[in-house]
Amino acid sequence: MRFRTQLCNVTTFSKLIGSLSSLGKVCWMRLEDGIIRFTIIPDQGTQVWAQLPVDAIFEESTYILEANSGVINLEVPVGALHRALRSAVAATSTQLRLTKKGNVPLLALTIHASSWTTGSNALGIADADQAATDHATVSGPRERETVIAQEVPVKVLHELSVEGLHEPRCRDPDVHIILPSLFQLKSISERFTKLATDSKGAGTALSSVAPKLELSANMHGSLKLAIATDSLRISSVWTDLVNPALDPAQLSQTELEQLPSERMRAFRDDDEAGWAKVRIDGKDWGRVLSVGRLSPKVVACFIHETALVLYVYLPGNGDDSCLTYYINSYAA
Amino acid sequence: MTTLSFSLAPESLFQLHDALTCLAKFHDTVAIEAEYDILRLSVLNPTKTAYTAFVFEADTFFESYSFALPRNGTSSRDARPDRFCCQLYIKALLSVFKGRTKDKDTAVERCDVELREDLDQTECRFVIRMICGLGVIKSYKLTYEAANVNHAVFDRTKTTNQWSIDPKFLREITDHFSPSAEQLDISSEGGKAIFTSFTTKITDGKEILKKPVHTSVAIDKRDFEYFLVEDSLHVAIALKDFKAVIAHAESANTMITARYTRPNRPMQLAYDFGGIKTEFTLMTRGASDDEVPQSSRAPELSARQTPAPVTVRQASTSNSRNMPPPPPRARSIRPLTGTPSASARGTETEPSAETQRPPASIDFDSLFVPADDDRQWDVPNEDEETEDRLGWDATGDHETFNASLGRLRDTESSMPPQDTSHEDDMGIPPTQRISQVSQLPAPQQ
Repeated sequence: MRFRTQLCNVTTFSKLIGSLSSLGKVCWMRLEDGIIRFTIIPDQGTQVWAQLPVDAIFEESTYILEANSGVINLEVPVGALHRALRSAVAATSTQLRLTKKGNVPLLALTIHASSWTTGSNALGIADADQAATDHATVSGPRERETVIAQEVPVKVLHELSVEGLHEPRCRDPDVHIILPSLFQLKSISERFTKLATDSKGAGTALSSVAPKLELSANMHGSLKLAIATDSLRISSVWTDLVNPALDPAQLSQTELEQLPSERMRAFRDDDEAGWAKVRIDGKDWGRVLSVGRLSPKVVACFIHETALVLYVYLPGNGDDSCLTYYINSYAA
Repeated sequence: MTTLSFSLAPESLFQLHDALTCLAKFHDTVAIEAEYDILRLSVLNPTKTAYTAFVFEADTFFESYSFALPRNGTSSRDARPDRFCCQLYIKALLSVFKGRTKDKDTAVERCDVELREDLDQTECRFVIRMICGLGVIKSYKLTYEAANVNHAVFDRTKTTNQWSIDPKFLREITDHFSPSAEQLDISSEGGKAIFTSFTTKITDGKEILKKPVHTSVAIDKRDFEYFLVEDSLHVAIALKDFKAVIAHAESANTMITARYTRPNRPMQLAYDFGGIKTEFTLMTRGASDDEVPQSSRAPELSARQTPAPVTVRQASTSNSRNMPPPPPRARSIRPLTGTPSASARGTETEPSAETQRPPASIDFDSLFVPADDDRQWDVPNEDEETEDRLGWDATGDHETFNASLGRLRDTESSMPPQDTSHEDDMGIPPTQRISQVSQLPAPQQ
């Protein structure tokens, strides 16, 4: 079993791992020829299934993958990997490989970083006599090279142990819509959750469950974020968003016409029946939205009262790099 | 009567604050020693694996400095009759010597510190007066406790490995380490110096994913001012201590020098600047290799079980002629026994009553170290005090002492029953237990 590659897009890789690490402690990393998949299935909360072409984060010419089945499955502590990748962000070159120390398999990052030192002026001190004499011996400006090795312990998973893991299947969405700026969405969501929790705490606090965010959208470019408690009801509405067309190549004309989203489109835009709604946990939603750091394009698919599926497309990779988030809706 | 007074300019005040911030990373009490030409602040960490000292030179660091000891007050037992020692809570000092303030109008213009120590007075205090702009004067009175201070002795002439570097480079290295890393291994190979972080946490074989990330950073030897180290020699120190040192060295803008011989011998990091001499004596251990059984190389563990601190003991072998055998530190490990050597209202010059206890009880006590910080205040010394059992009459203060004992016990329900023979060893607490003044001192004007 062999895996070795040079990283070509450390910032993207690091941000990707960073946003995954907000949702779970470990991630299933599946290395295949041409495709890398990252999957997080937490005990509770949102699942992520991410799929990227190798060249999105690795240098394809240096990508070496050897395994009997042609696939390597790893269980990776995402937090530790994210931390380790931070050393690589400003590096000149970074190699990632699978190795072993004793009985512990490791993902080893070898990072070459260089910086410029200006020699005796590096400290910018002239007043301290002691320091000044010390610095007389330092050579002039030159390039410093630092080699950093980060070894993240991982677990190699047998094909059998991941066989039973499948991407969730859902019925066709009622509404699909492109989300506005995730940063804006995140701060408003957080504000709402905080307001609702505060007002709850001040009141009777009968239930210990935090109030849920209500997210709804229609096929006329409107998205509504709302939260309600006994003492307050607050909502924000975005309009003129895009309801993207589905790929006509995958579906026949009649199939397209029978999609639930087409039925929803038939409602007038002021008709309440045209809205699909889900209830989600504010904290979990905040973790999902941390993917905003990749500044992606996000299509949200609403399955009324059931689930919200987010398709997160990384910029600059066409539709090949896609992270899919499966968020269950809470009952009212 | 001991007199000590000194004044500090604002710049020195900030440096004192920086020093205290650094010292606070090692332990919560600082020992202050005044001599004729220097003032020394030192801290020994609770596991006795790190000793930190800041020496402030009387002529250069202070605006004015005066120190005088009573002619008759010193006892022959004291190894260094020419100094005054006491200890204080670092937190209390830090709240007085705050960092730079943004408020320009009432910024500190001068700071006067005076020691009020009089054997005939019940109150002995450090009096600190901050003379600020607009005629504002803030005064603070801090209680202190007597202490017998020992230094980790490090013989620089025996150093076989030495390097010096800008602490900025070291900080860049430690930035790569995981925040949970505990140890730092230093070695060199060819033209590279290698710093490796590791954790000696014993993890369950199944929990591979919870194993700590191993990080190693190699930098060019040319980044050092000089680097004279035996190739492929591995020494390891506590990463937390190392970070504390480089953070201060970086703020002081000075080169840092490391001296050491071999693993399991102390390493000293040191730098001098602007009238301040610092030294950090850290115990080292062997290499980080995984194949070594982890429990077998933990010097601080063995140190806990023996009365003498490792750093001191090791170093003293080469210095036994000019230094007395270093006794354990004042805040050493032992059960609650009152405050014998502090009997003299806050000075160490008075005789104190204490018997040396069997080592077995020390071993036993060491288990309870973390449970009770307060006890660390209690007994300044064990070895030096053996001949002074009858040095004072406890009857007068017995009740007050017992009261304080009882109160302490309330908070320590898990304490084992006290050996009653210890009661003979009780002393008068200093003017006030520091635990009683946990509130930070407030400006009085």
